[in-house]
Amino acid sequence: MRIGIDVGGTHTDAVILNGDEIVASIKALTSADVVGGITAALDTILADSGVQHSEIDTVMIGTTQFTNAIVERRELSSVAAIRIGLPSGRGMPPMVDWPEDLATALGRHTYQLHGGYLYDGFKLANLRDDEIEAAITDIAAKGIKDIAIASAFSPMNSAPEKDVGARIKAAIPDARITLSYNFGRLGLMERENAAILNTSLLSFADRVVSSFLEALAKRGLKCPVYISQNDGTLMSADFVRTYPALTFASGPTNSLRGACKLTGLQDAIVVDIGGTTSDIGVLQDGFPRESNVVVNIGGVRTNFRMPDILAIGLGGGSLVSTDGKTVGPQSVGHKLVTEGLVFGGKTLTTTDILVASGKAELGDKTAVADLGQDLVRTAQATIHRMLDQNIEMMKPGGKALPVILVGGGAVLVTDGLKAASKLYIPENAGVANAIGAAIAQIGGESERLVSYRDMTRDAAIAKVTAEATERAVNAGADRHTIRAVDIEETPIPYMDEASTRVRVKVIGDIATGSKLQKAAS
Amino acid sequence: MKINTHHLDDLALGSVFLATGGGGDPHIQQLITHQALKQYGPVDVIDPQSLPDDAYVVTVGCVGAPTVSLELLPSVDEAAQTLEAFEDHVGRTVDAVASFEIGGGNSMIPLVAAVGRGLPVIDGDGMGRALPEAQMMSYPIGGVRPTPAVAYDYAGNFATFSTDTTETYERHIRSFAMAAGGMVMTAEHPMTGRQLKDTVIPGTLSFTIELGRVIRENRGQADTLLEPLQEVFAPSIYGEVRQLFIGKVIDKATRIIGGYDIGEATIEAFDGEGPNLALNIKNEFLLAKLGGRVVASVPDLIVIVDYETSTPINAERLRYGHRVAVFAIGCPNFYRSEAALKVVAPRCFGFDIDYVPLEKLS
Repeated sequence: MRIGIDVGGTHTDAVILNGDEIVASIKALTSADVVGGITAALDTILADSGVQHSEIDTVMIGTTQFTNAIVERRELSSVAAIRIGLPSGRGMPPMVDWPEDLATALGRHTYQLHGGYLYDGFKLANLRDDEIEAAITDIAAKGIKDIAIASAFSPMNSAPEKDVGARIKAAIPDARITLSYNFGRLGLMERENAAILNTSLLSFADRVVSSFLEALAKRGLKCPVYISQNDGTLMSADFVRTYPALTFASGPTNSLRGACKLTGLQDAIVVDIGGTTSDIGVLQDGFPRESNVVVNIGGVRTNFRMPDILAIGLGGGSLVSTDGKTVGPQSVGHKLVTEGLVFGGKTLTTTDILVASGKAELGDKTAVADLGQDLVRTAQATIHRMLDQNIEMMKPGGKALPVILVGGGAVLVTDGLKAASKLYIPENAGVANAIGAAIAQIGGESERLVSYRDMTRDAAIAKVTAEATERAVNAGADRHTIRAVDIEETPIPYMDEASTRVRVKVIGDIATGSKLQKAAS
Repeated sequence: MKINTHHLDDLALGSVFLATGGGGDPHIQQLITHQALKQYGPVDVIDPQSLPDDAYVVTVGCVGAPTVSLELLPSVDEAAQTLEAFEDHVGRTVDAVASFEIGGGNSMIPLVAAVGRGLPVIDGDGMGRALPEAQMMSYPIGGVRPTPAVAYDYAGNFATFSTDTTETYERHIRSFAMAAGGMVMTAEHPMTGRQLKDTVIPGTLSFTIELGRVIRENRGQADTLLEPLQEVFAPSIYGEVRQLFIGKVIDKATRIIGGYDIGEATIEAFDGEGPNLALNIKNEFLLAKLGGRVVASVPDLIVIVDYETSTPINAERLRYGHRVAVFAIGCPNFYRSEAALKVVAPRCFGFDIDYVPLEKLS
């Protein structure tokens, strides 16, 4: 059996799955001490369900903890940021466009060295021993242990990053180093930023993972632990010690993946209706459609891929105007249970409209008995119209797609949705994110700029796929189950006609008895 | 007027709007400009009319593949060094620096060159928008020769050019750029103050900052953007603004032909009712047809913004499912002259239609 836990801003959800069957599920408030909150959720669900610790094979966790550390500027280490790319980029040091408070939190220790490659594999410049030595001496003198290294075109040739990393490791044996090529994708500054953010979290991640594994060990849980990534795949807990930044934005992804699992639908619109917002996302082949805008984490531009989510101000706590024509975006949020009319409060919310319509039994329905029929009907029409219009905008093409409703506010939809070819409100819709965490697989991704003149298209795709596969295996996937889920080819304007950026994403099942699992258990 | 670091967000936003889908993301150009203005102070912007007829002006900018500059970053001193190499080559000093193209990142590189050499920058450019080929600039259309010119790479290597026509110059410089890592800075199309006054699209630098401010202050759903846009464009050299369409992209297919990103996009109304809007792309959005009827064409401007945020979207990033609003803006009168239409009319891009100015289309 598997346990999936999703730690959100307000709620921590947990589920136990036996194969495809949901054995138990709980919803608890998120605690300030996240590890304490996760273990409490774990204890409750095991006690409630009567499932024995020994029956649990794996634990999967989705957490916003590392994103929050960046956003709130806490638990971050000093980082030495090394860029290899001179003589290009003089006067444009690493972190040049960062918010001042975040750069200060990391110390703004930046180094620029000669080296790197050009788009066609020609050397941009040679590495220089004296520069490398000077940087190492300075880093050692400052006592910095966390180091990020990025070099020009490293997704195509990572040798300069590896060389400099090895030199640092030899001089500072306890250094923790992030090489940017592991974050794939072209765009030096964004890739470098991802590497620096990751590096600033290494020490924190180490502590979180250790304390968590300890807490599990104390409970006699000997199973491996996995953490969700932003693309809906998993990494082993030990991998998080090296790549904590890959957990950014895993929440919406897990909700979409959970909706996919609960309905078996591979292509659908998913609407997650909470207390304040409805998050609309799109499932394509069982995975979230990705947003194509630059992703900003805590004010820093990064190259992380995030799901394409349209958030609208409509939830179970949204305020309703006295004529029923305006709903949201203001919401009483989690105070619904004291401020809503049916709960003895004074604020007219969407939940009160629902109760007044007679479609749900909640709180004290006499409190809404005086609401006019017109108001109730108008407000219901407004709610449905808001959802219909926004779902329509997320639909790819004129394609008729089913809609899956998840989240606590899903009950607001009482009259079907015109925008949906078919409407699904699965059982256990409230804990879709935890289910999404529990079912995730392991992925890997790679990207290269290739010329189809030098290499055939098939050979180029095979080469990039092989690199992505190696990454997935390293992250804990079973090599024999790996398949490519996304192949993207982007021709490059103003260059040789055959120049193309090829990106491949693969996924596979969790390897059983793998090195990583043994290490974790 | 002086341009300072606090103008750059608006300049970048306005320049992406005027890039009409081309030009790439100017983030890196904005950063380098920010660093240069921080280091050297604000840059003086001068009205082209204030230049003496015998002044000597040169255009400075980046040439190459924008995708490459995502890895091969420019240096703060590179633009001024390009200018110095040019002055050495021609054996005289330059009085002011001008922009090739206000649409996209090359709206800002002249500021970096000018401030690094203590020179003013011209309030104006050679396109008033973005266009895919150098011979479509107002300077060569008005008879300015492309050379003598200098192209300067990331390591300080440079090449000098002497060619007859801008078309030949463009071919040569692109080969050099490819050999030099994919991106170079150039100083080219040198001209006298008189030639500049006759050929420049005037006022576009200060206008782009103003346009950026208007878009920034009207962020949010694009259905409220038309009126503020009309207010800012109406008294300018552009004039007419129309909202052509609101909907979502249901098809987009482009491929690289001869180094250009060429293809089409189709946009459907949110409710699926009525005819679709079809767009033709060659790096920029060039032709818009509603149910087969032309509703805007090059050299008039066609601009796509994100429906939710009103952020302009470039053609490379436009994709299936994108929710957008499409606007058309009349081009400056220079581009409606016979000489200009010889190189920028729809037929020059392979569309078999005559150019009809936006305000004459129904």
